[in-house]
Formats: sequence, structure tokens, C-alpha cells
Amino acid sequence: MDSYLVVGIIIFMMIMFLLMGMYIHSVLLASGIIGLILLEGFSILPGLLGNEPFNRVASYTLTTIPLFVLMAQFILHSGLVQDIFYIVHKISRGRRSLLGTLTLIIGGMLGAVSGSGTATAASLGQVAVPELRKHGYSGPLAGAIASAGGSLSGIIPPSIILILYGVATETPVGALFIGAFIPGVLVMVTFIIAMLFYYRREAKRSPAAAEVQAEIAAAAEAEAAEENVPVSRLAVSVLMGVVIVATIFGGIYSGIFTPTEAGAVGSVVGLLTALLLGKVNLNFFKASLTETIKLTGMVMLIMIGAQIFGRFVSLSLLPRKLINLLEPLMATPALVLLLISAILFIMFMFIEGAAVILMTIPVFLPIITALQVDVLWFGVFISVICTIGLITPPVGLSVYAVSGVTGISSGSIFKIGMGFAVFSMIVVCGLMIAFPELATWLPSISSGKG
Amino acid sequence: ACGGETSSEDAASAEGEKITLRAATGLSPQHAWWAGGMEPWMERVTELTDGQVEFETFVSGELVAVPDEAEAVENGTVDVALVLPIYQPDQFPMAEVTMLPLNHSDTLIASHAWKALLESDVELQDGKTFTELQFDQFKVFPISTTQEYSISTTGKEFASAGDVKGTSLRTPSRIHEMYAKQTELNSITMPAVEMYDALSRGAFDGSFYSIADWTGYGFQDLFKYTVTGINFGHFNAFIGMDEEKFESLPENVQEAMEQATEEYFEDSAQIWMDRSEEVKKMNEEQGGEFVDFATLPQDVQDHFNEGIENTWGDYAKLLEDNGLPGTELVKLWRDLMIEQGGEVPQKVKDM
Amino acid sequence: MTTFYKLYGYFGVLKKIGLVISAVVALIMMFFITYDVVMRNLFSSSVRGGFEIIQNYMMPLVVFPGLAYVYASGVLPKMELLFAKFSPAVKRILILFLIAIEIFILILVVQFSWGYAMDGMERNTSFPAAGTLYQLWPVFFTIPVAFALIVVENIFLFIKNLIEKDPTFVVEYNPSEEEQIINQAVK
Ligand code: NA
Ligand code: NA
Repeated sequence: MDSYLVVGIIIFMMIMFLLMGMYIHSVLLASGIIGLILLEGFSILPGLLGNEPFNRVASYTLTTIPLFVLMAQFILHSGLVQDIFYIVHKISRGRRSLLGTLTLIIGGMLGAVSGSGTATAASLGQVAVPELRKHGYSGPLAGAIASAGGSLSGIIPPSIILILYGVATETPVGALFIGAFIPGVLVMVTFIIAMLFYYRREAKRSPAAAEVQAEIAAAAEAEAAEENVPVSRLAVSVLMGVVIVATIFGGIYSGIFTPTEAGAVGSVVGLLTALLLGKVNLNFFKASLTETIKLTGMVMLIMIGAQIFGRFVSLSLLPRKLINLLEPLMATPALVLLLISAILFIMFMFIEGAAVILMTIPVFLPIITALQVDVLWFGVFISVICTIGLITPPVGLSVYAVSGVTGISSGSIFKIGMGFAVFSMIVVCGLMIAFPELATWLPSISSGKG
Repeated sequence: ACGGETSSEDAASAEGEKITLRAATGLSPQHAWWAGGMEPWMERVTELTDGQVEFETFVSGELVAVPDEAEAVENGTVDVALVLPIYQPDQFPMAEVTMLPLNHSDTLIASHAWKALLESDVELQDGKTFTELQFDQFKVFPISTTQEYSISTTGKEFASAGDVKGTSLRTPSRIHEMYAKQTELNSITMPAVEMYDALSRGAFDGSFYSIADWTGYGFQDLFKYTVTGINFGHFNAFIGMDEEKFESLPENVQEAMEQATEEYFEDSAQIWMDRSEEVKKMNEEQGGEFVDFATLPQDVQDHFNEGIENTWGDYAKLLEDNGLPGTELVKLWRDLMIEQGGEVPQKVKDM
Repeated sequence: MTTFYKLYGYFGVLKKIGLVISAVVALIMMFFITYDVVMRNLFSSSVRGGFEIIQNYMMPLVVFPGLAYVYASGVLPKMELLFAKFSPAVKRILILFLIAIEIFILILVVQFSWGYAMDGMERNTSFPAAGTLYQLWPVFFTIPVAFALIVVENIFLFIKNLIEKDPTFVVEYNPSEEEQIINQAVK
């Protein structure tokens, strides 16, 4: 069948399947398989469908998916986050805007030990949102702060998104991690600025309500002062927090282990932390491991679907046709990049981040290469967009996670989250296009290649 | 087998009709085997057939990843591919023979020996030649081997045999594993994309690798110490097509493919030699050092040489244990190498 | 319905066993890699062939055995936005349609991954690690088995949506509900 016609049919089918509510991995699998059949007939299937599931999964680099998730699970179930938040709460007593700022910074720090934004957001939602509300933040703003703080795990290394990109494009994961550091901090800073803006606006709009809440807060603080967490326990928590971050980054950059192995070592340290904090029992393992297998299975199923879909995309020669189509624009790479970012931003609004990365790479990577855009820079760039997409409606997994654990309606969080997202998107993406060095400079000095 | 609904299948019978063949490699398009081997071959085939045959190419694993090319050709996913049999010792256990270590050879010597081995009519077992035993399902178009493999480290030097023992090197094949065992080297395995990261941070000492291949992973900036003048074998490859598929092509196309192979064979070897010179220069500018094996202390030389001798025997025995004509094969390879100007230790000559 | 939930309960045990296998292998993988790192740094000796064993044995065993459990848990993402706005009758038709496509696709995956595994057995597909060959093909069989279990899950889901009023994407096994039914049945 004519390949243009097939591509048309498949794109239409994909959109229909997505709208109908088909699982993302099934959309990819179904479109890929049906596309291959239309293009080549059934005879092409044994060679691609038979071996791809195994080939995709049997990858040493991908051990990072279960292991970074496992590390995050061990840490989240160890009670470390609660303890650290307790300290933050003490520090910011009386200075209410500081609490919001510190919550986002903690989100960033948690990002440095967690690879997945959703899990971190859920845990921040549990711990931070009640505290923020006691300090006079409205429910939606508190929810948005927790969602945004959690989403930072997606860009601050280690990050599953960066790992997936690295695997799909054969870019060294270590270089991606280093490259994402500055943009990750930038996203955090823009979130803080947006948060302060919303906080001021809320305070101005309803000073009365704020006062009432402040009174409640004062009472709550007095109450909290009584239920003291022992200092020794807090000391262990802080110490272990530092040890985990130091182990992972120190280990990677001193050459003790590779970024891939960091997932395993980090998990063991996470487990030790939970042991020291006295949280290890059968339920601890059950909860951590079940969650790990679930997330791993989810990512891998989507990866398998994306692999099959990618084979269809390759055989249809779609990327080459797109490059030809874009030929008049190729002379101005910035314009093409803008177009790609807009498409990705919209896709990240609707679809889970890892899935978007995996389904668009077969199409976008050849274009990026033809534009001679740095592949590492592009990976960091789309990870930024992906992170921001975690807090945009209609599909913002971070917001759903927070809404799920706090009961605050996701719609009201999204209203503020969208503000965070648009501001951060314009500032960080704008800066990254204007100064690509923001992503490429650190990797170049650390490898000595610059 | 089944070529599916590729246009070539339908067009095969009618002479002069357009034939589009799907060609693939898991390697990058800059790789010497593609850029200097398969790509010129395809261009020449198109030329020789006056545009009757065209190739639709897929590189960098876009369609088929390393080392699945052989399988993809067999099951008809692609029509023709760059096959790297050494990566699949379970399917092609005898293909590793070109990785046997030697005292001397270069890309041209090894390439000619490899071509001679593929075309050899010496019956190794049950009246079958090397190619019949290993690659019966393929139409094989020989291309060059890689340049010889060397040992390079990020700084560790071999001042005595004791320095060699315990040095951790990445080993790319089973024969290097055997060699590492013989010489008490520590063998490390890891994906090539992770190697730069791990090496630059000192996770291990170095690797067996061919100098011309360094640039693919940026090793020219990394290795500081390379021993030349001893040779840890040559990786091999060929352009593979399904035998039946080939037979179904018009005669003029078959002839064009054979002719293109003959014309481009030597050039496909020369590109390795040229690249190696370039890379050496780059590496020296970065402070890299190339040390001739003959200038190393005698005990180091003896240690390495002893390893070479024993590895030949070990590999032959491994094949024999699996019911394959190991001894016959290594002897044939030895003779072909010597014929082309290669050198092997006395003990290997006496085998 | 009793038989349905009873059967689904037995099937649930099968999925749980798969989950436990995946979870245990994930833990083993964690310790194995860490052990390798420690050995390399303290004694400069690496587990020979460790990398290949992790890649070819452990990763598939972390992913495939637990896959049916993962599938049934409802964690897999989809776009629910538009779907939520449909009337129950439309939802039901849509779900049945989606499950039918899902089953068709999954059966193709089972068929071809089974073919791949059988082919691997015939060729005795193995991978080289530390100078020896390890058999690889047995791992291939986890794939058709995992996807076959997902097909079964979808058949349960299809039946549930056929016989019950509320359209759903998960067959929730609710023991208390079942107990009620059993109690009623006993009466
Ligand atoms: Na992170
Ligand atoms: Na979103």
C-alpha cells in the first residue's frame, strides 16, 4: 500500500485510539502492528514482533529503571521525607513565604535521589500540603507547590526520562545527567518565583482569610511544638539524606561506579537508611517492591510498544519524508525547534512523559540530527518540557498524585499549576535556546572533551 | 525464506525492471564498514545495473540493531545487511578465528586472508568448507576485517610481567577472554556507550580495541598508552544476503554484485589503515603514547607471547569439544595468514 | 458470578506468583550489582560475566513474570478525559471494542514471541559471557507466557463487561463481595 496513505490511516487511528481511552502501550502496539501489516503484509511480523520484546528489555542500561525506582521507594517508605519536612517546618516558623520556597527546594533535593516525579509528588503531597495549609496557603496553591516540587525529579538527575532518552539515542547517560543539572536548577528557581507571585496575590486578595488561616497556623504550631520528634532521629535522617546524595554523585563522579550502577548502590543505601530509621519489615518490602515492579512493567510495556511503533515509523520512511517537507524551514533551526517544542508541549499535556519521549524519538531524532542540533542538548531540552508537562492539564501525573493523596480537586491545582508551567516553559526553554551552553557546558568540562 | 511483499520479489523475474532492496546495519553510518565498505558497494551495484537496483538504507539500528542483522536477513525483515558473526558465537562459533592473536599482520593481510577463508574450498568437516559450515544460508560478499586490535590503557604501563597481571581490560570476544585468562588479565564487559564514562572515571584500566575505531566513542582523547607491534586479532564482517533471495535476482544483477565486491574489496581495507593513521596523530596530540612491543622488557614480551601460543590451542580445543573441526580451522587460518604476510609464534607454526 | 470470581481468584494467585518472582529478582539484581561494584573497587576483581547475566537473565525476569499483575493493577496510563464524558452505554460498547482489539494484538504478540522462543530452542540460542556460552532461549519463553496471561486477564475483563452493568477497565477481585454472594448462594 502507498506509504503516505498508510501513515495517514495510522495517525488517524492513533488519535482515535487515544481519545477512546486505549492504554498508551496498546495504542503504540496496535498502530505499529497494523501499520506494519498494511505496509508489508503479515510476513514482516515474525522478524519484528517475535524478538523485539526480549531485545528491548534485555539491556544492562535499563536496570536503572527498576533500581532508581526502588531507591526512591525505599527512601519514601523510610520516613526520611517526613523527618526532613519536620525540620523545614521548624526553620520557617513565622516566615510563611519561606515555607513554600523550602518545599520546592526540598522537591529539588528529593529529585536528586529519585528518578520519578509522580512518586515524589505523592509523598510531598502527604507531608507538605497539610503544613503549607496550616501556614496560610490555600489548598490549590499548596497542592500546586507539592506537584511542582515533585515534578522536579523528572529533570534533576537521576531521571528516568533522561535514562530513556539516553538509551533510545545512545547518548551516554552520565553526560545527560550532568547536562541536566543547570536547567534543572533553573526550573526549580522559576517554580519558586511563580510560587511567590501566587502567594502574594492570594495574600492581597483575601487578607481576612489569610489572617484566619494564620491564627489556625499559630495554634497548629503550638500543637506541633508539643509533639516533638527526637533530635537523634532527625540527626539520622539528615545524615542519611546527605549520605545518599553524596554516595550517588560522589560515586558517579569519582569513578567508583557508573551512572547505571548508581541505581543499585543507591537502592542499597536507601535500604540501609530505612533500616536505621527502623522502618524495615515485611510490609516495607511488599509496598516498595510492588510499586517498583508496577512502574517498571508500565515503562517497559510502553517501551516495547514504542519499539514496534518505531519499526513501523522507520519502514514507512516517515522521518525522511518529514525532513523533505520541512526543507524550507531547515535553514532556520530555531523555527523548527520552536515547532517541535510546541508539539511536544501539547503532547506532554495529554500523554504520560516517558511514552511521549519514546514515541516521538523515532520521528524527531533524524530531524534533530539533520539540523545538526546537539543530541545531548535536545535530550535535556525535552526533559525540561516533560517535567513541566507533569503539572499541566489535562494529564498531569504529579497533580493527580497530589490530588489523590490530599483530596484537593485536581482542577483547582491545575489552574495554578498551568501558571507555573507556562512561566517556567517560556523562561527556561527560552534561555536554553538562547544559551545552549546551559546544557552542554558542564558535560564538556567534565569529560575534558571541550 | 520469505522476502515478504518487497518490490524485488515481484520484479525479480522480469529483466530490466526496477528492484529496490532493503539494506541495514546496526552500526553508525560513519563506521568504516558502512562508509568504506557497504555504501560504496551499493553505489557501485546501482551504477553497474544502470539504476535498475536501488537500496533503501537503514543505519544506526533504526531497523535492525547489532547483532541481529543475520537474523533479519534470514527472516526477510531486510534483504541485505552488514553481518557481524563474531557477536554470535552460539550461531557462528568458527567465525571468531580471525580474532586469534598474532605477532604481526595488518588490515590488508587479514582482509585478504579473511576473503580467502570465505572463498576457500578446503573441506574442514564432512566434505564442507568453512562458509558451508558457518554461513550456508547466506550469499556472502566479503569485505575487509578491522584493523588489528591493540591493548590501550588510560595510563597504566607494562614495565614488568607483574604489571600485566591484574590489569582490567574490556574484552570484546571469547578469544580475548581466553587470552585474558592465559595472561592473568582481568576482563570487564560493558556496553560500548558506557565505556567512555567508566574509563574516564577510572573504573577500569583499558581495552582491547582497534585504533581506527576509537573515534566512534571518543577514545582518542582518553587512551594514554597503547602497545603496538603485537596483534590481538581482527574483527570480521561480510555483506550478507539470503541465498534464495540472491538466486531469485536477475543474472546481470548477481554479476554486478560479485563485480562490485571484487572492485571495492581493497579500498574497504585501506580506509581502516588511513583512519588509523589519523587517529594515531590525534591521540599523540592529546598526549597519547604508542609503544612498540619489541621495546618492552623481555619478561613482558614472553608473558604476552606465551599467551598467544596457548590461546590458539585453547580455541581449537573449545571448537573440538563442541564437535567442530577446531584444529583444522586454526591451521587453515594460520596458513592463509602466513601466505598473505602475517607472522605467528613458532609453536603455532608447529601445530 | 460466583464461579467467575472464584476462577479470577485462582488466576490472581498465578499473577501474584509472577509478581513475587519479579520482586525477588529485582532485589537480587540490586545486591548483585552492588557486590560487583564493591569487589571491583576493593579487590579489583569483577564478577566474570556479571554484566551479561544481569542483562540477559535478570532484566527479563524482573519485567515479564510480573507483567500480568501490573496490567491488572490499573497502573497503565491512558487518556481518560473524553472517555469519562461518555454515557455508560457508549462506555460499555467502547470498552468491549477496545478489549477486542487488545486481545487481537496480544494474541499476535503471543504467537510470534512463542515462535521466536521455539526457534531459539532449535538453534540453542546462547550468549557468551566470560568465555563460556550460557543458554538464553529458556528466558524467551517468559514472554509468550506473560502476554498469554494478559490475554486471559482481558478475557475476564471482557466477560465482566458483558455480564455486569458498570463498564470497567479492571476486574476488581473483591473478596467481601464474593463472600456475600457465596453466603447468598448457600442460603
Ligand atoms: Na531526579
Ligand atoms: Na501534562
